Amino acid sequence: MTQRFDSEVTTVCGYCGVGCRLEAHVRDGRVASISPALDGPSNKGHTCLKGRFAHQFSRSRDRLTEPLIREGDEFRTATWAEAIDRIRAELTRIKATHGPDAIAGLASSRGTNEECYAMSRLMRAAVGTNNIDNCSRVCHSPTSWALRKSLGLSGATGSFDDIEAAQAAIIIGANPTEGHPVVGARIKQATLRGLALVTIDPRRIELSDYAVLHLSPRPGTNAAVMLGLAHVVWRDGLLDHDFIAARTEGFDEVQELIATYAPEQVHEITGVPAADIERAAHVYGEVDRASILWGLGVTEHLYGSEVVRLICNLALMTGKVGRPGAALLPLRGQNNVQGSSDMGALPDTYTAYRSVADEDVAQAFERAWGEPLSREKGYTIPQMFGAAVDGRLKAMYIFGEDVAQSDPNTAHVIKALESLEFLVCQDIFQTETTRYADVVLPASAFLEKDGTFTNAERRFQLVAPAIDPPGNAKPDLEIIQMVSRALGHEMGYADSAAVMDEIAALTPEYAGVSHARLGRRGLQWPVAADGTDSVILYRDQFELPGGRGRFAALPYKQPGDAADQEFPLVLVTGRRLQHYNAGTMTRRTGNLQLVDREWLEIHPDDAERLWIEDGQRVSVRSRVGRIEVEARVTDRIEPGHVFTAFHFPEVRTNLLIGSSADVNTSCPEYKVVAVDVRPMAEQPAFTPAVPEPALI
Amino acid sequence: MSGANGAGIRVTVDGSPVEVAPGSTVLEAIRAAGGSVPTLCYDERQAPFGACRVCLVAVAGAPGPVPACTTPCREQMQIDTRDDTARRVVRTIVELVLSELPVAPAPHTELARLARELEIGAPRFTGEVHAPRLDDRHPYLVFQHELCISCGRCVRACDEVQGAFALTATGRGFHANVTAGLDAGFRDSTCVSCGACADTCPTDAITETTLLNLAAA
Amino acid sequence: MVSYAERPEGIVVSQNLVELVRRHHAVQAPTALEVLKQALEHHGEITDADRRSAAQASGLPDAAVYGVSTFYDDLLQPRGRRHVRVCTGTACFAATADAHVEQLEQALGLELGQRSADGEVSLAETVCLGFCHSSPAVRDGDVIDSGPGLIERVLAGATRPATEPEWSSTLTEPVLTRPGDFSGLARALAELTPQQLLDEVKQANVRGRGGAGFPAGAKWQFAAAADGEQKYIVANGDEGDPGSFIDKYLMERNPALVLEGMALAGYAVGASHGFILTRSEYPLSKPALEQAAAAARAQGWLGEELGGSSFSFDVTVLEGAGSYVVGEETALIACIEGRRGTVSARPPFPAQRGLHGLPTVVNNVETLANVPFIAARGAAAYAQLSPGATPGSKLVCFNERFARPGVYEVSFGVSMRELCEQLAGGLVDGRVIKAVQIGGPLGGILPGSRLDTTFDFEPLAAEGCMVGHGGILAFDDRTDMRAVARHLLRFGAHESCGKCFPCRIGLKRAHEQFSGEAPVDRERFEQLLEALELGSLCAHGSGLPAPMRSLLAHFPDELRLA
Repeated sequence: MTQRFDSEVTTVCGYCGVGCRLEAHVRDGRVASISPALDGPSNKGHTCLKGRFAHQFSRSRDRLTEPLIREGDEFRTATWAEAIDRIRAELTRIKATHGPDAIAGLASSRGTNEECYAMSRLMRAAVGTNNIDNCSRVCHSPTSWALRKSLGLSGATGSFDDIEAAQAAIIIGANPTEGHPVVGARIKQATLRGLALVTIDPRRIELSDYAVLHLSPRPGTNAAVMLGLAHVVWRDGLLDHDFIAARTEGFDEVQELIATYAPEQVHEITGVPAADIERAAHVYGEVDRASILWGLGVTEHLYGSEVVRLICNLALMTGKVGRPGAALLPLRGQNNVQGSSDMGALPDTYTAYRSVADEDVAQAFERAWGEPLSREKGYTIPQMFGAAVDGRLKAMYIFGEDVAQSDPNTAHVIKALESLEFLVCQDIFQTETTRYADVVLPASAFLEKDGTFTNAERRFQLVAPAIDPPGNAKPDLEIIQMVSRALGHEMGYADSAAVMDEIAALTPEYAGVSHARLGRRGLQWPVAADGTDSVILYRDQFELPGGRGRFAALPYKQPGDAADQEFPLVLVTGRRLQHYNAGTMTRRTGNLQLVDREWLEIHPDDAERLWIEDGQRVSVRSRVGRIEVEARVTDRIEPGHVFTAFHFPEVRTNLLIGSSADVNTSCPEYKVVAVDVRPMAEQPAFTPAVPEPALI
Repeated sequence: MSGANGAGIRVTVDGSPVEVAPGSTVLEAIRAAGGSVPTLCYDERQAPFGACRVCLVAVAGAPGPVPACTTPCREQMQIDTRDDTARRVVRTIVELVLSELPVAPAPHTELARLARELEIGAPRFTGEVHAPRLDDRHPYLVFQHELCISCGRCVRACDEVQGAFALTATGRGFHANVTAGLDAGFRDSTCVSCGACADTCPTDAITETTLLNLAAA
Repeated sequence: MVSYAERPEGIVVSQNLVELVRRHHAVQAPTALEVLKQALEHHGEITDADRRSAAQASGLPDAAVYGVSTFYDDLLQPRGRRHVRVCTGTACFAATADAHVEQLEQALGLELGQRSADGEVSLAETVCLGFCHSSPAVRDGDVIDSGPGLIERVLAGATRPATEPEWSSTLTEPVLTRPGDFSGLARALAELTPQQLLDEVKQANVRGRGGAGFPAGAKWQFAAAADGEQKYIVANGDEGDPGSFIDKYLMERNPALVLEGMALAGYAVGASHGFILTRSEYPLSKPALEQAAAAARAQGWLGEELGGSSFSFDVTVLEGAGSYVVGEETALIACIEGRRGTVSARPPFPAQRGLHGLPTVVNNVETLANVPFIAARGAAAYAQLSPGATPGSKLVCFNERFARPGVYEVSFGVSMRELCEQLAGGLVDGRVIKAVQIGGPLGGILPGSRLDTTFDFEPLAAEGCMVGHGGILAFDDRTDMRAVARHLLRFGAHESCGKCFPCRIGLKRAHEQFSGEAPVDRERFEQLLEALELGSLCAHGSGLPAPMRSLLAHFPDELRLA
């Protein structure tokens, strides 16, 4: 094969959180083909259409190749020196006038660990604020929060290998065959080889066809389902009393609580038949090795973080954690959701979730960075937008995110962006967000840079550049260092490996991580100084005081939004296989030929009642916004619910999402939106929000 | 873990002893011993299939050559990868495979490499060849049905790795081939475009559009 | 260093489609093949809509159903309102040198596999209809007609059902030609434990009668020892060997004996259900077996708690769709599951992973028909049937070239001459036996000069021949042996399942070498035979070299070699 290509590079996929190891084959400075690495620990020689094929975006004609500076209503190309100087001047001015806390930065879950770490250093050390957050805020922050509260560490308790090791599994609020296709494929294979699977989702997902049981709870009632499962496990003698006694605390309160969630009561709340609750509990409880996987269908709710704690409860009461096949596996949305938070790109924590108020930790970073650091928590993403609208926040530096497309309550976000005095965007394309920028810096895509990503198994894996960034675009780490230098704070990293060395030196959990040591298989944190990594967490004890896992006695609470007479249907949002998030990348590839538009899934009963035909355009209105989209009639969805994704700017799904967010982490409630759906006239006004992306 | 505790199976490969896990195949033992034997229908990501018969080796006591990929190791098995009869049969089989293609396989393909390894020139066997049939309706994947040697790797990749079940073997005998869905192309099938079929194809009967263009350039 | 990761016993095999079928079978879903066959019966061809509904009903994916629909002969040949199927089996070839095929093609103006433009008539090839005692044979709609005047009757639209073959036994105490009466089952249930029955069958040393000659007792032992609550018995009624009509006789005229054998196998290995696969070329087999099964159920010999015991056993009768290789046990299982009837590598053997992935005994129907005698009388009595030879008796059949064609139950150990000349009366019209092919198309060919060979496994093997299925097919002195080679290779290439490379391509190339007039390069042909024999996955590819080697040995001049 080699002779067909000029070079071949092993790297990590830049799409979802599975962390597929890929071989990029390069010819004439372009990626000619991508194939899966046979020894990839999570993908085992497989990958999906995004990882394998959706790389042409990296040479799309509309890639940003020069810095842009706003002149009135227009952008003009600029030199790097001009752009950096403009940033220096504006940030220095705003800091002097309004203080460092008037500036905020967003790191990206798409960026490398090193970039996210450098971005947090930029905000904390060069600017002097803890106003740094990343987009895991809008997806898995509830998971992170809850796992830390219940078990101690913010990560999966095991690995994807637990899928094959398990005898039974529950998947709740995730659609892996579309959202995490390689893991979806592994789960499907496992079910055909005997894994007893229970799927829990308002939609009948593809894996439901291979499951022993599918539960369709009403959106927003996951907590009741988990409490119901716990009730049956408790009632029917499926508890692991030894485990509860030896390794946990707080079960008594939980026992009192779950006693009130008999299957019949749960049926009232969720609509799930009592017998199905019972059977699901037995599928999970009766076997020795069972795992639970979940996704954003759990977290993106008003009480998403509490549901994650209830998931932990179920595992703790049955002793199904810390062993092969007995794992809790959150399916992370983006390639580096895990790492971007691990690296401390959060307003309240340094690396490994250590509080900015922790004096020892703060001092260690002050010594390393040679700057005084704030002990005050910064703004979360929603707080940043709020602060921008009410004038407390004056400038933002947004790295690799399209908040105007992917964040909820889009109108509010746009108002916030418009309110800023100065906005820097560092991205690979013009996006909905860059329209509001003052300076746009041309950045690098994952095939163009080096560093590490951390996948949903807590596995650090090496990222290597296959091709150069186009034109004058630069690797993100270099850009961040340039800005920092201009602001008077020299980071002085020779390369990304040096950044990782500093992270390892400052973070006991990653003490043994170095680029040299990661090799082809990577390392799963915690990594001891001698390089020993952790495939399974909590084999002997939990990472909480006393080493005990903590139950949480949290009752079911109603979701923030609910169907009513005016908005009689509940909208659930999610992903399609062929596209990825805001579609910035996948819409610039042949994937657009496979799926070229968004659609709304609606049950035949609802469609008939509302006079909606398959393929017809419909208007979808929520309490905060309205979109137009094509309807598809399918019985994969339950009556009363509708589903759509958010990959196409033409259909700005997130216009419909309100400000309701997780009580503990501000993660938006993307998954429960009351809407009114009605057919459109034959010839709708149809104006794309952005120009059609060009295909190469 | 080593096999010193006796949990493994001890065999010899061309005289060299090697210990393998119970359930291992002769092929795995040969590779564990650092040896090699040609394969065409084998892909380590898939269950062994036993169709191509080019991994034939001799095993002491067996009446004839055995396929390494589907033969389980037995204690004290003596495996001979250089047996003359097995080599001769393998050569004939590869010549037969080459004889069914209307054009020689592209040099980078597994089949072409195997033919080079066995120093096979023009095949001695001639006769009917597969009729050209190109299907390039998919943005990424292209079928050149005439290059299909029915090794089943694409079908198994779709079945055992991806689980999309979009591909099938078709026809029988010499006219066996593969296709997607109801023979209306990848796009009108349950294909999820994962590309595992193109990745494993040893002849480029299924390949990526970009790579086909690259080869044509 | 070797890492001993936990892995299942034996080799991991592809099983997803089997698992999908199993899940649907559990809820009484039909197989894809059954649905496709119904569609064909209903409207004469298979459409994509039929394929989709077959997929929906059976649980097989769309693509897999497409694969099935392009595999079986019955599904491939278009049907007119009148569907004429002409037998191209070896007995018909021996009778007419394929003249009957040419006559029909000319008279109907259709080639094999064609349908007239107006959809009125279609002509299809079928191998073989099992009327080898009165070749040639044609199936016209639902009527199978054969023998002299056949073509005229077909063209006149006046076909009539052919006469079934005569049968008799040379044994004083018939085993296989004795009507099944469930007495063996009655005795076993009353007096023997399953293990005792199994031991008795092992001791009787019943060698498989389907061709391979593998000891049935050993198969049973493996299946009995295999883990699993659910096990199956599969009776292989796919008697595809052209020239054989032995299983046809058993299934159609002594079906109760076969069912009794299946029930006994079930008792011995702990299976509560059996499947029997009949051939679509034998349209009477399935109804005969179903009728016998209904009668047995009425008498309490099938169904729940047989004969008042705690043992329950029932059978399902299924029909194939035209594929010779489906007679191979793994392909047979695939066919019963409604999948493509291709061969799978063994291990795992069906006794470990068989039908629906569960432990399964696959026995030929004749093999199973031996068991009731053993159950009733014991292994010792069974051994007495063929003193000094392989235990038990054997059904043989003779083709139309013989003076007294038909089915005979004989002992092992008699000479081929006795069988051919005394029992079957030599050839008709004073013709001389040029050669006989024994045991089907994969069996060697014995020249007339060597008829003193003993009819038993080892003596025949020494002549490059085999007992095989027991068909004894004579070629008379007018036969062109190069044409025999071409006929057999055409059959071989046509029936190759397409899975393993040597058979898929090698038989095609071998047939091509004999198709033209050019001499055949002997060295190259022998290398091809070697690759087929040693390289093929199943007996189809590895068996066809046997008759070719016979022809090379005994009739080299006629083959026109270079």
